[in-house]
Amino acid sequence: MTSPLRIWSLPWALRYLKHEVLALPGRTAALLFVLFLLLFPLFSQDPYLLRVLTLTALFALYAASWDLLSGYTGQVSLGHAFFFGLAGYASAILGRELGLPPALTIPSGALLATLAGVLVGLPSLRLRGPYLSLVTLAFPIIATGLIFLFPRFTGGELGLSGLPRLGQSRLEEYYLVVGIFLLSVLFLWKLAGSRVGLFFHAIREDEVAVRMVGVNTVRYKLLAFAVSAFFAGLSGGLHAHYLRVAGPDSLSLFNSIQPVIWSVFGGIATIYGPVAGTFLLFPFLEALRVAEELRMLAFALLILLVMRFLPQGVVRGVLERLEEECPRCKVKNAFTRKACRACGVPLHLEAREVKP
Amino acid sequence: MGLLEAHGLSKRFGGLQALYKVDLRVEEREIVGLIGPNGAGKTTLLRLLLGIHRPDEGRVVFKGQEITHLPTWERVELGLAATFQNPRPLRRLPVIANVLVAAYGPRGGRKGDWVKRAEARALDALEFVGIADKAKEPASVLSQGELKRLEIARALATEPELLILDEPFAGLTPVETELLAKSLARLRKGGRFGRLHSEGCAMVIIEHKLSELFKIADRVVVLNFGEVLAEGTPEAIAQDPRVMEAYLGEGAYA
Ligand SMILES: Nc1ncnc2c1ncn2[C@@H]1O[C@H](COP(=O)(O)OP(=O)(O)OP(=O)(O)O)[C@@H](O)[C@H]1O
Ligand SMILES: [Mg+2]
Repeated sequence: MTSPLRIWSLPWALRYLKHEVLALPGRTAALLFVLFLLLFPLFSQDPYLLRVLTLTALFALYAASWDLLSGYTGQVSLGHAFFFGLAGYASAILGRELGLPPALTIPSGALLATLAGVLVGLPSLRLRGPYLSLVTLAFPIIATGLIFLFPRFTGGELGLSGLPRLGQSRLEEYYLVVGIFLLSVLFLWKLAGSRVGLFFHAIREDEVAVRMVGVNTVRYKLLAFAVSAFFAGLSGGLHAHYLRVAGPDSLSLFNSIQPVIWSVFGGIATIYGPVAGTFLLFPFLEALRVAEELRMLAFALLILLVMRFLPQGVVRGVLERLEEECPRCKVKNAFTRKACRACGVPLHLEAREVKP
Repeated sequence: MGLLEAHGLSKRFGGLQALYKVDLRVEEREIVGLIGPNGAGKTTLLRLLLGIHRPDEGRVVFKGQEITHLPTWERVELGLAATFQNPRPLRRLPVIANVLVAAYGPRGGRKGDWVKRAEARALDALEFVGIADKAKEPASVLSQGELKRLEIARALATEPELLILDEPFAGLTPVETELLAKSLARLRKGGRFGRLHSEGCAMVIIEHKLSELFKIADRVVVLNFGEVLAEGTPEAIAQDPRVMEAYLGEGAYA
């Protein structure tokens, strides 16, 4: 259906841009978003703004990792902070004990989180739905307990501070985090749209039915746990070094719930939804930091409104109104079009039929 | 040696003995009808054969290999497939994706452009049951009869050697029932259906619509209260007074 990408040919690229990207509001928005992130420092290098955007990108990756496991595969994790926090601590301790640079300790932390993902995934082979979620909830709590038990090793309540920086300057750190964020999300997006992603989708819909057609659901569930935990760990490691502290806050219940809220706000099982949800919510909530009580209240109110009016998620809900599926060939079209861009079938038939 | 041999399968649910020492044997390319009143244990037997439940005792041998303790997907990989009595579609996925999940499985092999072959096979499976025109719709829009046929398409996409169908005719109109019965008879003989299958496949068909079933079955096994009550040709079973009695208790001879 889609021809291979030939971006080295300029006329081809321009045609592709016109017909495949600019023709759809969602893809246009994605393009503008990437350009915005890459070009933002050309317009402003305000340290506060750079900091907010860097943190937002980190948490957006965290939310997308949650979505792969919980939105796509249906294994709802309420303890994602376990992977996030564990990787941060692991990176901090490896750096301190072995004197390794973040470029080595952060990936190591993410790999440790991957192992932890498989460990947390094992109960999922027997437990379903809310029972599994309760088990995932327990892991960060147990980890927090251990941290307070061994304060000499973990820094106890204060955590481990003074971690090495990610880069020489705020700008360098910004581009590093944004680069990793964009590549990771692209990977998650591609994975979700692949054959493996189809199995993830299918397992969420009905696991027994999927086994019945010969799919090794154990393997795919553990794979979802592992990949999700890796990217949660990657964002957790980057976060620890960006703030230069790995503390018990990173394992808190609040930090487990954050990716859930952003994903539900954006729209689950989409990858782009959690990313967009984080970019819309996080800076807004950061601005409310001046009044902590107001912030939590705004958070709660927002979620209630979303659940009431756009239960499929705000970003996804809006996108579904802007893009219309052709009833015949199922190609997506901008809502402004009168006929399908692929097969020419007239759209909005219902609207016309209503008239006498 | 038969294609499938089940020896002394028993299964208890709490205080209820759903199956008690049931033997079942299926030869290659044979169509076995499995009948019995409601609650006789037919679906339970299917679930034991596919590994959805584990038997309390007994063994299952498929193609000469003991499969009693294999997980469901490994049984499917060996060539066993089954449909659910109540369809279990992946509702939010397109119809074609429902079948692709099955077609991408390991039975399609992993050589050359196996992905393309699997995709073609998925379409052919939809073609075979006659719902290819709905391929891109989400499964949630299908009617009950179409869902039953989607179940069969999904099982066929794994290219089974033994297909166990749980009430495939339930919810189908008489015309649809006849069409499906004909297709199943063709399937057993083997041959080419697009890029689908060629070897011919054995079947166990669980049904309450006996007249349709008896037209295509080679042999019929009757279950009652979890035990095999009778076994024989459709003609013999149709005249067996014990079978009549078991069903008359239900008043359900169709
Ligand atoms: N998972 C289960 N837990 C408890 N009891 C069960 C379970 N599955 C089946 N049973 C019971 O086992 C008995 C046999 O059920 P089964 O579904 O095998 O019957 P069936 O022959 O398929 O009937 P029908 O023709 O109505 O589909 C029934 O009494 C049923 O209630
Ligand atoms: Mg049944």
